[in-house]
Amino acid sequence: MADRVPQSSGLSALRGRISFIDLVQSLGLMAIILLGGLIMTAMSPVFATVRNIENVLQSATIIAVVAIGQTFVILVAGIDLSVASVLVLSSVLAVGLVQFQGLSPEIAIILALCAGLGIGLVNGLAVTKLRIPPLIATLATMTIGRGMAYIYSGGTNIAPVPRIFIDLQASRFLGVPGVIVLTLVLAALAQIVLSRTQFGRSVYATGGNPLAARLAGIKTERVIIAAFMISGLMSAIAGLLITARFEAGAATAAQGLELAVIAAVVIGGVSLFGGEGNIGSMLLGVLLLGLVQNAVNLLNVPPNWDSVVSGLVIAAAAALDVYRRSYLEAGMRKKIIAKAARSTPKTS
Amino acid sequence: MSVAEVISVAEDLRPVLIAKGITKSFPGVLALDNVDFNVRAGEVTALLGENGAGKSTLIKMMAGFYAPDRGEITVDGVVLSPDPSSAHRVGVATIHQDAHLVPAMSAAENIMLGRWPTRYGWLNKRLQKERAARALARVAPHLNPSTPAGRLSSADQQLVEIARAISEDSKVLIMDEPTTSLSPPEIDRLFNVVEDLKSKGMSIVFVSHWLEEVFRIADRVTVLRDGRLIGTRPISELDHDKVIRMMVGREVRDTILTKRPVGDVVLKVSKLTRENVLENISFEVRAGEIVGMSGLVGAGRSELAAAIFGIDPYDSGSVEIGGIAVSPNDPKAAIEAGVGLVPEDRRQQALVGLMSVKSNITLSLLDRISSFGFLSMAKEQAIADREIRALAVKTPSSKTRVSTLSGGNQQKVVLARWLARKPKLLILDEPTKGIDVGAKSEISELILRLAEGGMAILLISSELPEILTLTDRVLVMRSGRISASLPKEQATAETIMSFATTG
Ligand SMILES: Nc1ncnc2c1ncn2[C@@H]1O[C@H](COP(=O)(O)OP(=O)(O)OP(=O)(O)O)[C@@H](O)[C@H]1O
Ligand SMILES: [Mg+2]
Repeated sequence: MADRVPQSSGLSALRGRISFIDLVQSLGLMAIILLGGLIMTAMSPVFATVRNIENVLQSATIIAVVAIGQTFVILVAGIDLSVASVLVLSSVLAVGLVQFQGLSPEIAIILALCAGLGIGLVNGLAVTKLRIPPLIATLATMTIGRGMAYIYSGGTNIAPVPRIFIDLQASRFLGVPGVIVLTLVLAALAQIVLSRTQFGRSVYATGGNPLAARLAGIKTERVIIAAFMISGLMSAIAGLLITARFEAGAATAAQGLELAVIAAVVIGGVSLFGGEGNIGSMLLGVLLLGLVQNAVNLLNVPPNWDSVVSGLVIAAAAALDVYRRSYLEAGMRKKIIAKAARSTPKTS
Repeated sequence: MSVAEVISVAEDLRPVLIAKGITKSFPGVLALDNVDFNVRAGEVTALLGENGAGKSTLIKMMAGFYAPDRGEITVDGVVLSPDPSSAHRVGVATIHQDAHLVPAMSAAENIMLGRWPTRYGWLNKRLQKERAARALARVAPHLNPSTPAGRLSSADQQLVEIARAISEDSKVLIMDEPTTSLSPPEIDRLFNVVEDLKSKGMSIVFVSHWLEEVFRIADRVTVLRDGRLIGTRPISELDHDKVIRMMVGREVRDTILTKRPVGDVVLKVSKLTRENVLENISFEVRAGEIVGMSGLVGAGRSELAAAIFGIDPYDSGSVEIGGIAVSPNDPKAAIEAGVGLVPEDRRQQALVGLMSVKSNITLSLLDRISSFGFLSMAKEQAIADREIRALAVKTPSSKTRVSTLSGGNQQKVVLARWLARKPKLLILDEPTKGIDVGAKSEISELILRLAEGGMAILLISSELPEILTLTDRVLVMRSGRISASLPKEQATAETIMSFATTG
């Protein structure tokens, strides 16, 4: 039997390089981001200031937190359009429950998060038990969620916000704004869950091949429901962040945010077909999108043109990424042949 | 214009397709290394080799799916460019190992796929039907051209693909493991079609892990091993052992049966019934026992496995493992009760293509390799390495994506998953489908070793030799019923076939 084990000659040396590809892949987005940053530094004196960078990162936190949840849903081959509605609902609840119902801010925040979990649960049940396609199910909760936020808030933003939000926005850890730290902590947690836990592995398996996952003993329906609940929870947390940022229960904010989030997640290498992607490179997608937005603002692109410009940059980034990947593979291939030619003696 | 008119039989034996110095690598694997291969008019060439030898890769190259890194393929002097439509243009038609028709389209539409006849830019349905029917009549007169392809059996789907090759006036027809999911009569029919095409001057290339088939139909044999060409010989110069030696470079032992003690009842199926599928099925399998399950394709064997494993619900009856009833329609409960299943269709039912070999091996072990929900990466790696070694899975690394493995090695990964879990009852549905000769005997030995270790084994197989050498008892199924339970002494090819067809 020993002679049937994979021939080890040139191959063992290549082993390490397989995961190296993943690394270079995220470096690719990183490179685009750095290049964009350099160009921006040259074109705008404001860009490379601490204040502007902090601003870019801070506004990216909201998309990032929502995108973390969305990543779970897309990994199980679903999609969640209700995220922006959950976000505003959570925002108006967190402020409104204090102002209108007189609850303590802590209770209000907990209830706001529960609302997110609840809508996630409804999405999950609709998709698994009623077998409504995720696009339709979450389109429905998206409309309903936004409507409820309007009804509750009376269609306007609610202010002032409890002290706790002001403090959150002002907080700093080691000089870094608290909301950025919070986002990074959530991202790290999500990455650990995805790569190191039984649940995370089940997420990838369910998205990659639901039937095979089920036959391997994974309760795929529960996994899908959990993914939607995580997305709901994350959107609700993002709702708290936006409350802190705008200092208001923001009923009218985040219009079209769900599409920006989905774009960021996909640019970050998460496959819309499910089963593929990770939080780290996904965050780079968010960052790229944030950068484009910032560039559009700083360079005074006429308001009517900014979405056109963003769209073009997104398409260019995606194309560049595809090109780089195939270029990389071709290079690897040449190396393997050269190596094999050197190291394997010809047999019969 | 028919194939016969295009290719004159007089020109016999000139090479039609010449592949020269073909080299192809994938990340971490040199799949083909300077391979020469040619196909001659009016001949059947068998392409042989162990799992992962590079057969499918060579075929995909001839079909224009992959570009060779080095080397060139010419068809009648025309260089093939790496593009499937170019392959079709020069006359190479291919039926891939994991091939597929468009399920929702009719047989006729599939035959004309991409070449739908039009008139003034509109689809001409009548002309399409006519042409498709003409091609179909030659290989499968029993098929209705308007049946959706998804509703045809896999044998008939293959015939539809062959009809497509004929309607294109292809010179070369390549089939990658065409017989793996066919029953013996279907194989006969396929081979009759092959003989007919060959006599009309078409060249045929086929891959099979069943040497009986090779000796029945091939004129020449080309053997690959680890991506290198070992040789091409006329079949008349070869015998069974010589072919195996070329393929594996050593002798393959025959499996020797030993007497095993049989223990307690592990699986007890009572009066299992599912309308129109299974009828009043009762039987037992004891620890250490290997029970074979024979029958024609469609007799309900896989459906029975699906019911026991909790994939499909059933109407009445019960399934007990070790005396405890397992709840129906819940694979997780079945796994926890100690059942393992190697399903027939590994791609659909067992593997997560995007995940690594390692993660696929441990997919049904997640509970065992984690504590408080956290996976132990070290444990996972150790289990994966052990099983990859035990089954000699040919993969560049345990982190390689499972979908890039050759067909036979993917099957080994599914086996490895269950070996690692060590269930009380292992159901194997066509476990050696697509597995090479050397590995087949290794898997046979493995099954015996598992039984010796006290595992109960239910072996579903269409390969009578496999059933006859390995099992202690044979259950024969026919139209959803068990038509016979034969002890080893009474189980012969004749008795099994007679109960399978008229029990
Ligand atoms: N797309 C791919 N990416 C990476 N590696 C691949 C890819 N396709 C094939 N390989 C590798 O190339 C080698 C040859 O594979 P191939 O499918 O040609 O084998 P095969 O002879 O058809 O085997 P089998 O009898 O099991 O079908 C294998 O080691 C396989 O892992
Ligand atoms: Mg193959």
